[in-house]
Amino acid sequence: MASEDTIPVLKVLIIGPSGAGKSALLLRYCDDQFDPESSTATIGIDFKSKHLAVHGKAYRLNVFDTAGQERFRTLSTSYYRGAHGVILVYDISSRASFVGMEKWIDEAKQNAAPNAVLYLVGSKLDKVAGGGRAVTYEEGQAFAEANGALFCEVSAKTKENIKRPFVEVVDQIVQTPDLLVSPRSNNTALNIGTLGSDYSSACPC
Amino acid sequence: MESLGEKPWDVVICGTGLQQSLLALALSRSKKRVLHTDPNDYYGQHEAALTLQDAESFAAKYAASTSTSSSEGGEGEEKKQSVLRNATVWKPDDAEAQGLKFPRAYSLALAPQIIHTKSKLLSSLVSSRAYRQVEFLAVGSFFVYEPAKDGSVPKLSRIPSSREDVFSSQSIPARSKRSLMKFLKFVLDFESDDQKPLWEGQADAPLADFLTAQFKLDDDLKRYVVALTLALDGKVSVASGLAAINRHLTSIGMFGPGFCAVYPKWGGLSEIAQVACRAGAVGGGIYMLDTTATMKPSVDNEKVSLQLSNDDTVEANSLITGQETTVATKVISRLVAVVKSPLKPLFQVLVEGSPPPAVAVVAVSSAPSPIYALIHSSDTGECTVGQCVIYLTTLSTVNSKHELEQALSMLVNAVEGDESASPCLYQLYYEKAFGDKASTTENLGATPNLSFPPLSATLAFEDSDLEAVKAAWGLVLGDEADEETYLVFEDREGADAEDEVYE
Repeated sequence: MASEDTIPVLKVLIIGPSGAGKSALLLRYCDDQFDPESSTATIGIDFKSKHLAVHGKAYRLNVFDTAGQERFRTLSTSYYRGAHGVILVYDISSRASFVGMEKWIDEAKQNAAPNAVLYLVGSKLDKVAGGGRAVTYEEGQAFAEANGALFCEVSAKTKENIKRPFVEVVDQIVQTPDLLVSPRSNNTALNIGTLGSDYSSACPC
Repeated sequence: MESLGEKPWDVVICGTGLQQSLLALALSRSKKRVLHTDPNDYYGQHEAALTLQDAESFAAKYAASTSTSSSEGGEGEEKKQSVLRNATVWKPDDAEAQGLKFPRAYSLALAPQIIHTKSKLLSSLVSSRAYRQVEFLAVGSFFVYEPAKDGSVPKLSRIPSSREDVFSSQSIPARSKRSLMKFLKFVLDFESDDQKPLWEGQADAPLADFLTAQFKLDDDLKRYVVALTLALDGKVSVASGLAAINRHLTSIGMFGPGFCAVYPKWGGLSEIAQVACRAGAVGGGIYMLDTTATMKPSVDNEKVSLQLSNDDTVEANSLITGQETTVATKVISRLVAVVKSPLKPLFQVLVEGSPPPAVAVVAVSSAPSPIYALIHSSDTGECTVGQCVIYLTTLSTVNSKHELEQALSMLVNAVEGDESASPCLYQLYYEKAFGDKASTTENLGATPNLSFPPLSATLAFEDSDLEAVKAAWGLVLGDEADEETYLVFEDREGADAEDEVYE
């Protein structure tokens, strides 16, 4: 078993409009929690971490939440730094949230590394049963294809497909060797948290 | 969704400059409701990092010259001036053909300050756990420009800046080495009771004179030592000069061998401001960029209302702003240049085990008005590979722009031998005014308003700029302020979920 220090860390962002179900997707996948009442903006979650193994190799996946900064579109350029993948979430029961994807995908392409993996997720698949679908599967898929993104529809409520976006993003990332040669590995970045003698005993992450 | 105007905000912070952003970070674990706005559509304000497109709007916004013309302003009233002025951008007509890339490939730092490893800013970022999102790079060698003399070509001489460095230096005669070693030993504990009597009497005298009188340093060594103070004032005093050199020496080796300071990748203090704002957002703060907040006339004993440019009106229990105008006591001129050359000789690793430096410092000219250049390699992410970004700074005079342009070509010539091989692809010039360093607090109706002054006009980050942040934190929290918890936080991320295996 590789030690914690040597496991490659993958950074994946979740972006998209408020209320699209970004945090629900994150919490269901990472903690297997779902709160049907929760519709308020997410507070206190920076990112969630999960270990996973793909093709027999261990990775640590850090999934970052927008921390409400999507509400007025104020995600900072620093949020996108070093991201290996970006998951873009819209709500299949909201036409507006799908229409807004154009801008989000532009923002992701502008700010993330050129070869970062893009993944489009249509959320709230459970609403189809009640006739709530406002965006067809084909539309979602066509938009994703046109933008070089992978695609699937999920439900955090029923757990349908909930792991798929994460697994496929990671799978795609590890098949893009350029992405894993992170800027950090050129040995210029310092870890001030561990080098400072009297600073802290924090683990290097 | 909850409307912005329903309840009064515990604090409205206007501007995402470094100090405002650190305040947001400091409040991120409190229960306070924070609304944080910025008039620009990017983070960082006076400490922002600009794409070339941003640089153009910046130049347009601050193009005005506000040099004091006496007649305006009432009698006895101090004349306030815009903090930023005389901004222009320039590029050669064929810049793109010569190698200038797309606008977003650049990130020109409005605050390219180096941060000494001993700085409280770094220890606060560590204790608040915000440092994990920032990549720090090493600041490498310090140089002085040597003009051509006796038929030699101009060159840059590296300043030996540690005792080991002085020992191994080949360029210093043995006798001078002894005097320099004596001085370095002295400055390491210049504040001790043993050493104080040596300089206290002349604390305000020029450092250069003191170095001659007390340590018999020759002119070359004096230039080296004075250059290390990074003082823009050609007559740096004994007290502040010794403190600066002490900080330099005692910072070396703290994070690893061979360097005394660090620099945040992707645009300096801008990056720290952004990371601090994100921490504010994770803590529940609401962020609005591209939004101006205009104060409605304040009424006695009522909370101040702010009209936001999106038409919302919000009430604030406390208001934190940044000073946009100041009664200038000092003005600096800065030229930011993208140069088509990596200027590799400036970024050599000279001490075994030290990280490759991404920043070099050059004292291009000394007294009467020093010009310093901070040179950033493409490792900073501020330009593309094969180029570098040079930040030249001097105290402002009528000729500053011209002098900085001259200094730029002197510098490039000294490194490359021939300037024409490494042309300048882009320039941003501006002036920045500094006034009284203190933050100001006044009451607007029943709402206290604290306004941050601009950061110090220095090339290295000054810890004293953090004092106003703590004052603002105390003002917002009132009785709840517990010094022990100021910027001391646990990591946010929860325990890892169980492992999963996919084949």
